[in-house]
Amino acid sequence: MTNQTKSQFIAVASITSELSAVMVVAKEISLAAANAKAIAFRAGDKAKGFQPITDFINELAKETIELVTNINIYALVLYRLTVNEFQKTVAYNKFELASKMAGDAVYAKSMQEPVEHAKLSMQDCQRQFKRDVSQLLGQLEAVMHHARAARVIAANSRIEASQAGEYLQSLQAVAESVDKAAHTIHDNVQRCRIALSIYRNS
Amino acid sequence: MKMTKIYEGSHQWIMFGRDEGKPGNIIDTNQYVVRTANRCLLLDPGGAELFAPMMAAVLHHAPVDQITDLFASHQDPDVISSLGLWDQALTNAKLHAPAFWEGFLRHYSCESIEYVGIPDNGGTIKLESVELQLIPAHYLHSSANFHVYDPQAKILMTGDVGAAIEGPDTPVFVENFSAHVEKMRHWHQRIMPSNQAKRVWIERVRNLDVDILAPQHGRMFKGDDVKRFLDWFDALQVGIAV
Ligand SMILES: [Fe+2]
Ligand SMILES: [Fe+2]
Repeated sequence: MTNQTKSQFIAVASITSELSAVMVVAKEISLAAANAKAIAFRAGDKAKGFQPITDFINELAKETIELVTNINIYALVLYRLTVNEFQKTVAYNKFELASKMAGDAVYAKSMQEPVEHAKLSMQDCQRQFKRDVSQLLGQLEAVMHHARAARVIAANSRIEASQAGEYLQSLQAVAESVDKAAHTIHDNVQRCRIALSIYRNS
Repeated sequence: MKMTKIYEGSHQWIMFGRDEGKPGNIIDTNQYVVRTANRCLLLDPGGAELFAPMMAAVLHHAPVDQITDLFASHQDPDVISSLGLWDQALTNAKLHAPAFWEGFLRHYSCESIEYVGIPDNGGTIKLESVELQLIPAHYLHSSANFHVYDPQAKILMTGDVGAAIEGPDTPVFVENFSAHVEKMRHWHQRIMPSNQAKRVWIERVRNLDVDILAPQHGRMFKGDDVKRFLDWFDALQVGIAV
């Protein structure tokens, strides 16, 4: 296995692991939203400004989960593509070797077609991988966007919480956990993007 | 890769083996090729490591597009782990292998090659005017196992039966049977699981007219050595590891 193939396998595997962490955190946000909703309900008028925010947080968490689920399916496709590319590359190298070893054999030339064919399918795989990576990067960008939005909401929540009287502390805690979660998502997704960006279609 | 023509008639049998480039830690194997005017059959084509030298060697006898058939006596990696590579190199080829092992052998990838499953009671492979018989050899050593008999060439390809593990420069035929016995004893006692299966197989093979007995490892047996081998194998206790 060449280093290029190895790092491609690692990049694809790292997406899956980073994303499973994102999934956990997104579920935490969704839980925090439910929690906040209950508190805001109890706080009544004192947390009026907080109520629409909890819905928004919940929505955002749900969308993030959905996005990540889709990306995971994509990552699996990418993994299969990597396996395929690896097999095609092995075949191409072996065919070339066979062709070289055949030397002046009577039918040595007949190996040209399989060699050419293997080369084309290997290149096909490489192109398709680049194309799919570009699309995946686009989807990851969408998750980043959600994470940034969540941080803005967290900031707003803090302001709203400050007017919630005795509920200040618990609402602030909600805002804190949303902010932290959004931060984690942002970092993880960023790592995925860096791992993949070298394969992007230039 | 050393090539030895072992039959020349309306068609040819060629034995390939003793590959000098083979990594030392993998078992040495014999591959056999049956060549007719426009087609070519590879018997136990070998492991993935052997693909390139084997393909290069075959190109001395047939163009790639005339390699139309592969045969795997059983599912072992030294027999057929090259399948995924042949699968990408050949168009319109068939793999004749035990039906029982289909789901296993497909792990090596068999997409463009058609898997022709051999039923337990055997069958035939038709290669133009040549008809080869697929002789059941179950439990010798694999639980679904076949040998190939060519009644015209009087050659019986026997997979792991008759095998011996020797050095790379070993002659292709047994020259001194009694000296050869010690090289085969432990292999057969250890790898063959069933005395009953052995008995049934020997009975079956004694009814065939065999000039050359051609195993997948070691040396071939010729003429009277075929009968000597059958007698020796008949008397041997196998399945000794339990
Ligand atoms: Fe075997
Ligand atoms: Fe073997």
